[in-house]
Amino acid sequence: MLVAFAIFGTLPFWISEIGLYPYLGAEVLIFCIYALGYNVLLGYGGLPSFGHGAYFGIGAYAFGLAQFNLSSSLWLCLVAAILAAAFFGAIVSLFISHRRGIYFALMTIAFGQMFFFIASKWTSVTKGEDGLLNILRLPADFGFAAYPIQRNIPFYWFVFGCFVVTIIVLWRVVNSPFGKVVQAIKQNEARTAFLGYNVVLYKAAVFTLSCAVAGFAGALFAMAQGGAFVQVMNLQWSGVVVLMVLIGGGFVSFWGPVLGVVLYFVARDLLGVYTDTWQLWFGLLFMLVVMFKPEGLAGIWQGIVYRKQKPRSSASLHLLVMLRGR
Amino acid sequence: MALFEAQGLHMRFGDRVVLEDISLDFPEGRLSGIMGPNGAGKTTCFNVLTGRYKPTRGRVVFDGEDITGLPPRTIARKGVSRSFQLMNLFNDFTAEENVLVALPAMRQRGFDLIGDAMGDRDLRERAEAVLERVGLAGKGPELAKNLSYGDRRALEIGVALAAEPRVLFLDEPTSGLGTDAIARLGHLIRKLKGEITIVAIEHDMEFLFGLADSIAVIHWGQVIRRGTPAELRANPWVQNSNLGRLK
Amino acid sequence: MDFLLYLLPHLLNGVALGLLFALIALGFMLIIGVMEVINLAHGSLFALGAYFALSLMTPDGGLKLGIAQLLFDLPIGWRYVIVLILAPIGVAVVGMGLEVCLRRTYGKDPLYGLLLTFGAALVLEELIRLTWGPTERFIPMPPSITGAVFIGDLIYSKYRFFASGFAILMIGLLWLFLEKTPYGALIKAGAHDSEMVRALGVNLTRLRLFVFGFGTALAAIAGIVMAPIWGVRPHVGVDAVVPAFVIIVLGGVGSFWGAVIAGLLVGMVVGLTGAYATDWSLIAMYILLILVVTFRARGLLGKKSVLEL
Repeated sequence: MLVAFAIFGTLPFWISEIGLYPYLGAEVLIFCIYALGYNVLLGYGGLPSFGHGAYFGIGAYAFGLAQFNLSSSLWLCLVAAILAAAFFGAIVSLFISHRRGIYFALMTIAFGQMFFFIASKWTSVTKGEDGLLNILRLPADFGFAAYPIQRNIPFYWFVFGCFVVTIIVLWRVVNSPFGKVVQAIKQNEARTAFLGYNVVLYKAAVFTLSCAVAGFAGALFAMAQGGAFVQVMNLQWSGVVVLMVLIGGGFVSFWGPVLGVVLYFVARDLLGVYTDTWQLWFGLLFMLVVMFKPEGLAGIWQGIVYRKQKPRSSASLHLLVMLRGR
Repeated sequence: MALFEAQGLHMRFGDRVVLEDISLDFPEGRLSGIMGPNGAGKTTCFNVLTGRYKPTRGRVVFDGEDITGLPPRTIARKGVSRSFQLMNLFNDFTAEENVLVALPAMRQRGFDLIGDAMGDRDLRERAEAVLERVGLAGKGPELAKNLSYGDRRALEIGVALAAEPRVLFLDEPTSGLGTDAIARLGHLIRKLKGEITIVAIEHDMEFLFGLADSIAVIHWGQVIRRGTPAELRANPWVQNSNLGRLK
Repeated sequence: MDFLLYLLPHLLNGVALGLLFALIALGFMLIIGVMEVINLAHGSLFALGAYFALSLMTPDGGLKLGIAQLLFDLPIGWRYVIVLILAPIGVAVVGMGLEVCLRRTYGKDPLYGLLLTFGAALVLEELIRLTWGPTERFIPMPPSITGAVFIGDLIYSKYRFFASGFAILMIGLLWLFLEKTPYGALIKAGAHDSEMVRALGVNLTRLRLFVFGFGTALAAIAGIVMAPIWGVRPHVGVDAVVPAFVIIVLGGVGSFWGAVIAGLLVGMVVGLTGAYATDWSLIAMYILLILVVTFRARGLLGKKSVLEL
């Protein structure tokens, strides 16, 4: 975790040296935000959404539309994006929250496809296949001073700030009483209900929360790309976040998604140079992870750390058994 | 008047009648037992009483209030708590977290998104007290799935207790336990008796006869005998049928 | 009358679609019944069937084996018949490969089966895109089943008659297989209780492998027949899983005729939506899914099933 901060916190100073570029760093961080928010739903809530790209896209469009029609304040536009994604997420959650497993998964696909379809057909608002262009990176106005973030390096710092804020907020959420209840529901929904919890309400809330974070990431992505495009809402893109979170190890670690995102982008930019088929290999890697190590990269890491400690603890256990035996 | 009452419960699944005109009452502060052979309808009866199923006909009354057909969470909030025969813990939580989640004080803070769940000294003390009560003192930090079978049973009851119920329903608490563990459990339940109202389904007749104030025998979905353990012991019909296994 | 004439072709479209949907759904259902796995890759295997057919039908499909030339030299009618047999077998092999991967998830949280097949769907789609390109392709059809038929004032596509007839034939054969053969009886038994199948001393591993191959072959057949109607695109897969799922929820898991009737129903809805708003016909399925799951989550038969996990 400290390593992650050290890497991302100094990234603009060295990334050009290794042949990459700060823009890539910003994109990685944006997807980290997206994946961390998604993992609160999948890893902590055990609720598989295969249509999360929709809320990412809604955030992107809402940011653009707010910028064109409402206000030129960065903060207001970001809030608009978050609220829009949360709003649609909340509506969808009304339909899906009393569902479980496969019903839940397929309903998220259905709603995701619907939003995708609407976004591609409603050309007067979204500009359809062309995308909503000319979305600006508005200056970050802190009251006492306003910083332009047009160029990639300042923009990177801005996204880094957003990343840190997201981590703090989500870290508190998963460790809050709310986070505990959500984890309890994942492990045993019926028992949680028998303890007096309104399970449906909690599921709706956690779904809405992760949609809001997706919308936030979407807005940042619209700034990064200078436009909002309908492709991010399709099933492949929704699938990508699932792959990233799972390969990284979202089931066992808060930080897993960050690992997954970094791996994805490294694979894309390094393997992508050599082969067009990298996405295929990434998909196959995903299948292998589900089959052999559903705990993902973070699980492998924990396994290594645990194994290092194990000899000692098992030795002491052995000693204990022997003493008792006497 | 009894704290918890069932009045004329009928339950049908499709064309199968599982419960037929069951009326029971559980007086406050007592331990009431329900017994009967496998498939007699005990567990269904339990599920109806605690809100998992809505009865086809009849009423469930708790503290003078009709709670028939209310969802489990509403019934739970009124102070009815249950344990499960098949163990139903939060396996990836520690023993302490299992109990913590069950505390009503935690439930009230359920939508607190910012606070630290494990940082509240008061909550943790209460959780620790519950663990101690069920004989799991010091086992708080262990994951529920790593506990021994007997400890998991105790934790199962701990979770039900942590909800601070007025009526505690225990579904076959001794099932799968060895003699020692049963003795330990009997000790635990005897301590609880008198503090709260308890209703237990039980297979182990000896266990139930040693603890209960009154017992209802269910067979073929009906209550066929009721009485104190002594009365049932003396009843020739019960002796012939159900108590064959009683030494 | 004009109104009817306008509507009738769309109704017939609905029937053709519905029968093919039923075929997809039946394969999907066999897999749920025996494996308790919801195969999200079912649609991708459906698409793969169409692409295999494409490769076998024309040299444009990219197949460069010498032996394939023999096939390309055959008259197109014979070629089509052979393709209808070979392509599903090829897909069945892929499906069986997927089943082998799935074995590691049996007995675990069903979420893993779901995630694995979802990953497989993405992989298959990517494979298709790499092999055959992202653009829409067309499979050449024998002239005897293309063109139009004229019935009175009605002009209708000959191919859709063929598609309906073929789907009815396949559904009939499947029914005979399940009802009249010992292996079919076994699959039906497995659909109720895999413990019992094991107790009968049947090799469950082999049964599962077979059923997965068989179910995906049915999807492939539907994919081939559907190809001229929907077009052959890499991402057509997901559009095929959703009707299959809707049909199963509507018809009830394990109900053969329930699936057929629900298939026709869904086909009608999609077909008729196509009559008034072509763009909306695909999305109609998703809306249908949302409505069905919201209001009738246990299907028309109201049974509790593995779908609820």
